[in-house]
Amino acid sequence: MIRLKTKLALFNLLSKLAFTALFLLFLPMIIERINLRQVDNDLVQKREKTIGLISQYGIEPFINPDSSVSFGSYNILKEEFISLEKTDFPGELNEIDISSRILEDEEISYRVLNYTLFVDGQKYLLEIGRSLTSIQQAKRNISRILFIFIGLIILITFITDLQYTRLILVPLEKITKKLSEISSPSKFDKTPVKTNTIDFASLDNALRSLMDRIGEAFRKEKEITVDISHELLTPVSVLRSKLENILLSHHIDQEVAGKVEESLKTLHRLQSLVNSLLMIARIESHQYLREDTFSVKMLIEEIIEELKPLAEDKEVALTGHFQQDLIFSDANRPLIFSMFYNIVSNAVKNTPSGGEINIKCVPAEKCFSVVISDTGKGMDDEQLAHLFSRFKSRKGHDENGAGIGLAIAKSIADFHKIKIQVKSTPGSGTEFSFDFPRNS
Amino acid sequence: MNVLIVEDEPGLAKEIASFLKSENFLCDLAYTGNEASEKIAVNLYDFVLLDLGLPDYNGLDLIKEAHKAGSEASFIIITARGAVEDKVKGLDLGADDYLAKPFALVELLSRINAVARRKFNIKSQDVKLGDFVMDIQSRMLTFNGDPVDLTKKEFDLLLYLVLNRDKVLTRQQLYEHIWGNILDDQYDSNFIDVHIKNLRRKLNSHAPSPWLETVRGVGYKVTAE
Repeated sequence: MIRLKTKLALFNLLSKLAFTALFLLFLPMIIERINLRQVDNDLVQKREKTIGLISQYGIEPFINPDSSVSFGSYNILKEEFISLEKTDFPGELNEIDISSRILEDEEISYRVLNYTLFVDGQKYLLEIGRSLTSIQQAKRNISRILFIFIGLIILITFITDLQYTRLILVPLEKITKKLSEISSPSKFDKTPVKTNTIDFASLDNALRSLMDRIGEAFRKEKEITVDISHELLTPVSVLRSKLENILLSHHIDQEVAGKVEESLKTLHRLQSLVNSLLMIARIESHQYLREDTFSVKMLIEEIIEELKPLAEDKEVALTGHFQQDLIFSDANRPLIFSMFYNIVSNAVKNTPSGGEINIKCVPAEKCFSVVISDTGKGMDDEQLAHLFSRFKSRKGHDENGAGIGLAIAKSIADFHKIKIQVKSTPGSGTEFSFDFPRNS
Repeated sequence: MNVLIVEDEPGLAKEIASFLKSENFLCDLAYTGNEASEKIAVNLYDFVLLDLGLPDYNGLDLIKEAHKAGSEASFIIITARGAVEDKVKGLDLGADDYLAKPFALVELLSRINAVARRKFNIKSQDVKLGDFVMDIQSRMLTFNGDPVDLTKKEFDLLLYLVLNRDKVLTRQQLYEHIWGNILDDQYDSNFIDVHIKNLRRKLNSHAPSPWLETVRGVGYKVTAE
């Protein structure tokens, strides 16, 4: 994975390099073309000048028309030469080409203009040449300067590109940060992110309206749970009060009292089922606050103290080993208490006398784990698979009916981003481990 | 004491009234918010049991109104809405307690009594239980002047039975009172039995405790002398 700004800067760099390479590849050719054209123009100008001189002064100052000796002149560095000679060449010549000349035993490449002209009925060949050495020199110089210059420009633009993309991507970073920081849609910071990039503004807008819609859905869900809880719990409430009043009247015989108590128990199961479902709905629609900071060790010690009488009565050893503590923040303590209480009390119920329940706090690299292991009946793979589902009853595991406690524990764990792992061997025991995120 | 029961569910209102009457309270009923508002304006009540889910009224407004009118009634909110904010808001507005439906009638009674003790600054009397004496004020149980070593939960359990003397309390009522609603699912009748067993063992090491009775098939009861 690469960051967007790095990607953009890399792409810019590569495309610049590619274009420059292409440019540098054709550069010598282009320079040569330009130079040759320049030289050719010069040569033509010189030709006109020479023709002008001949028509003004005649041919005699250059060459004797009667002799066969030709005229030739070059400057001391042999950069240029001019020659004029009689010719019997049948056609007319007016062309420029490259050819080598030997001047004073030195072979030099020249750009040469060949031109035939008639003076007093005699055909002459005029040649004007310019050495190519200087052109090649110029080509090399220009190439070198350009090379350095372009290299510098690429370097500078790469750095500025990097800075600029970083700068224009700031709003995107802000949006990402805002999103990762919130725990529920209602906590989303609704102030628009400052940007003049349309794309970011519309992303921000879309996110804000998404948060609004989710928040609205949560609010509706909350309303529904409130309504359901009212509708379901009111009749339970009426029945319960009626039965309790019957039980309290003094002239009720033992048998009737027993039956009323049984009815109350059944009613209580209904009540706790409704409450459990509502609790899950409330957790899932984030109706609980997460504002507590507390020591996990102390919470577990509290649970052990709470359940010790029950464990002792069953002759089950319930012990805690704390290698380390975790101060857990942004959490709902009563919910976390319920979660562990549930698991530990389940373990107490399912461990035969003489067994052991061990609670350990284990520090790990990236998390903090609470491991609850028992020497109880254990579960097979099928039971494990349905362990956290709401109504799949786990055969022979839970005589108390609603095994919804584990589903609640799971939703509390999810709510706090705690990972639950369960290992179990039928006949030898179960191990629950809770991996807390390290938030402090 | 005068109690106004504001509850739109007549079945429940009548049961609460019949229970409180048997406990020597004077009860008045209001099935709607308007009715309640009028009754609070005209009569003097010591307690108002207020259901928040009234069809015509936001129950919380009734508390505000009553306080404005200078009523000295203590409000106990009873609601099935179960939203956490309602509880916080209600207590902020000056309600004295909050009870989620469905609740045990004995629990309602003990809440009312607790508020009454605070309100009228009543000092609880020591209670004699056979050769034992329970000092409610300092939370001590003594036998011939020697303290009996009870855990907090054991004391709470005994205290609740003592405060509801001569009434049979079911295991569920005891559990709810002491453990609140940690998570209803954990309700385990065995839990109370274990604590009673431990409690009895501690008592019996000093003297027999026939006043702590097991009512077969129903629950437990403390009989007064």
